[in-house]
Amino acid sequence: MTPATARAEAREGSPGAPRLRLEHVVTGGATVALVVLIVLPLLSLLWGSIAGEDALTASYFVRAVSNRLYLQALLNSLVLGGWVGLLSIAIGVPLAWAVARTNLPAKSFVRLTASLAYISPPFLIAIAYVNLFSPNAGLINSFLRDVLGTPALTFNVFSMAGLVLVTVPHTFPFVYLLAVSALGAVDASLEESAQILGAGKLRTAFSITGPLVAPSILSGALVAFVNAIALFGSQAIVGLPARLFTLPTRIYALFDFPPQYGLASALSLILVAITVAALYLQRAYLARRSYVTLAGKGVRPQLIDLGRWRWPLLGFCAVVFLVAILLPYGALVAVSVSKSWGLAFWQNLTLANFRFVLLEYDVTRRAIFNSLVLAVLSASLAALLGALIGWIDLRTRLPGRRFLDYVSLVPLGLPGIVMAVALIQFWLKMPVPLYGTLAILLLAYTARYIPLGVRAANSALRQVDPSLEESARILGASWGTTWLEVTLPLIRPGLMAGWILVFVPAIQELSASILLFSSNSITLAVAVYNLYENGYIEPVAALALVNVAIIGTAIWLAHRLGAGRDGGRVGAIA
Amino acid sequence: MAGIRIERLSKRYRGVHDDEGALTDLSLDIPDNEFVTLLGPSGCGKTTTLRLIAGYLVPDSGSIRVRDRLLSAPEGVVPPEARNMGMVFQNYAVWPHKTVFENVVFGLRVRKLGAHEARERVERILDLVHLSGLEGRFPNELSGGQQQRVALARSLVVEPDTLLLDEPLSNLDAKLRERMRLELKALQRRTHITFVYVTHDQGEALALSDRIAVLHKGRLQQYGTPREVYARPANRVVADFMGLVNLLPATVLEAHGDTGVVAAGPLRLRVSLPQGTGTRDRVDLAIRPENIRINAPDGTAEGAAPARVAERSYLGNLSEYYVTLEGGLRLRVQAPAHADFPIDSAVQIAIDAEQVSAFPTGAELEPSTE
Repeated sequence: MTPATARAEAREGSPGAPRLRLEHVVTGGATVALVVLIVLPLLSLLWGSIAGEDALTASYFVRAVSNRLYLQALLNSLVLGGWVGLLSIAIGVPLAWAVARTNLPAKSFVRLTASLAYISPPFLIAIAYVNLFSPNAGLINSFLRDVLGTPALTFNVFSMAGLVLVTVPHTFPFVYLLAVSALGAVDASLEESAQILGAGKLRTAFSITGPLVAPSILSGALVAFVNAIALFGSQAIVGLPARLFTLPTRIYALFDFPPQYGLASALSLILVAITVAALYLQRAYLARRSYVTLAGKGVRPQLIDLGRWRWPLLGFCAVVFLVAILLPYGALVAVSVSKSWGLAFWQNLTLANFRFVLLEYDVTRRAIFNSLVLAVLSASLAALLGALIGWIDLRTRLPGRRFLDYVSLVPLGLPGIVMAVALIQFWLKMPVPLYGTLAILLLAYTARYIPLGVRAANSALRQVDPSLEESARILGASWGTTWLEVTLPLIRPGLMAGWILVFVPAIQELSASILLFSSNSITLAVAVYNLYENGYIEPVAALALVNVAIIGTAIWLAHRLGAGRDGGRVGAIA
Repeated sequence: MAGIRIERLSKRYRGVHDDEGALTDLSLDIPDNEFVTLLGPSGCGKTTTLRLIAGYLVPDSGSIRVRDRLLSAPEGVVPPEARNMGMVFQNYAVWPHKTVFENVVFGLRVRKLGAHEARERVERILDLVHLSGLEGRFPNELSGGQQQRVALARSLVVEPDTLLLDEPLSNLDAKLRERMRLELKALQRRTHITFVYVTHDQGEALALSDRIAVLHKGRLQQYGTPREVYARPANRVVADFMGLVNLLPATVLEAHGDTGVVAAGPLRLRVSLPQGTGTRDRVDLAIRPENIRINAPDGTAEGAAPARVAERSYLGNLSEYYVTLEGGLRLRVQAPAHADFPIDSAVQIAIDAEQVSAFPTGAELEPSTE
């Protein structure tokens, strides 16, 4: 029999299956989506940074690195990132150690602090601290100055110190989470071996435990750094009044009329270069030296009896809770129910601010609706694309599948505002008028958060042995049936986790939205920012709390849905 | 009917170190309704062969035919779902989100069988594998052996032409493994399905198979009945893999056609020689420990050689000895349990030359079929 007849028989063998099968269409679609979402906008950004009137030019980059304004912004970004990284270690490591390795009481309180800090919108913390520590009207500042008569104790939030203060609550959880898992994965036997050889507790900590967990801690600090320098919201809210420009706020300013696309593109690429360098260091160097995965199951970490030292440590945790959660949320709740924010705010409380943002003001109502739609759609798209890309990477031998996986991780290195600049550059050149619509925001969100979807799906798929899918195929099921009957149900908990991982940042997205919104496509975070800019302090607080309420509800719902009929069973076997 | 003909099949994995799992030029005829085992150490290509037969892999060259219908060739393969085969995986691959019934009925639903008939067939097959009454359980509520049966039932219920089994017993404990072995064999006889079975356990292969294909480094070493591959190994790799064996370098003293006298240390044995062997050629001898007798020295037995006990261990059902011959040659010997010789005592050994195989030195990588 000749090869040609082999192919003919191969086709015959699967009656009803056309040559172009569903799996080819779907995987092809996922690839095209990645190219449109990420590759083409990035290429436009590159092109925009070097395309002059009629020839290629380096003038944008020359201006970006020679003008003092931009150099200062670059320096500020680095200083901010550096301090935030250090402070994230200073806060995250003791908390992690306390939870993973000591008999500290109220560990769940520490865990709760870290999770709440992690999901809190960063711009919300910034606004709350402005309400407390703005030089003139800040509640605590007024109290110190006017009531206690100690103006020396006042703190001006509009400063680099203030910017670091409002950023760290969002970033220390990165260090905390990585350090907790690293410390929890160090088996007691490793430390006991050192101790039986004569090493004291301190020596064991420095020569065994420290080196084992250091890569994870540094890794967390780098992620904290990358996240800190990309946060447009806090940098605009706290930095701009102090004339403290950073790269994101400089890029934002370049879009004031007349917009300077070329320079904005060049600055964006510089910001990307810093982020990518940090992430490369983290992934290529530190992640490989992370020993966490070496330990198998039955890890039994050594717990240290703190004795009376647990009270100071618990005190430290309480201070973190106070600064990261209690003060900002307390301030927001107080502001949101006051008629006019000030020392006497408690004298006439009201719910009018909530009524205003939820019912009366059409802009905020539209913003809430838009953000809900965007967050649901982008989370679903990111989870779906993530599942397909993860599947292509793990289950096929398609050439270029590694590249696909790599491209899907690229947005990790793209600050939101850079993503916005890239999308603007690309879609302004396209015949489709997307700029100013919800669609471009959806593209921005999906592209920004696709790495979260891919990684969630990837780890879910890794836990599903390929033989589970292969069994379905050999029993006669087509690719589509196998996906619906086997793959999707088995990775559903992972996909739900990915979905919520995208939903939470998407419902509070500001960095990209701030350049992409129009009055029709305004989003929640943009509405908060605009109201704040225009001095509506009290409705801003109400709207910010609405935002938090939505996040809380979504997490609760996902938790309920994620643990379905067989949620527990899947983990038990696969 | 559903015999499988594999011709000059090769498969290589790009970028894989040391050609782990690659397959070179495999030709194999698997007769209809037989229990055929692919046997070899891990990485020998046996699982690759199975996955090629299943249609999960596309061969680099060669072909696979079932009933003269071409299923696999480098230019294209009939996908797994259109081959009417069944496969039982090492980890069972029982779907954890489906009940026993849902697992087993899956293939029937895909084949669009009526609900009534499907239910009947599922019941019948669950009865066959002794799982009746467990239809509503989820896999995590079953023991390893029961999950194994679910996987078997799921594959058998669609009445495949061929059942492929990839080390299905390796995750079971020793007792259960033995019982499932008997059940598998009985099942194959009752269902009249061709079984292609992959294992690295030679005992399992000997006990179950009608034929065994021994693979090593991606090449077929021998294909024959269990008796043939055990007693008449084609080369030293097969001899080594099929159980305990003493491999001795030897020299041919005189060759007469296909037999001759060989010398290994003080031993002189009349054995059958590989084709083309002449006087003074070097050969390797494979002598199984159970084919050596150990006795108190009396100096009379023909072909016996004096030896000294170097190590011994009592294994309950037999006694195992390491003895040293003159010139330092060391042999492993299995004797009845009651044979009791202290360490360092003088003994004499006698070798059943009928059972000794001789191979040309270093011939293991030549494919050889009988």
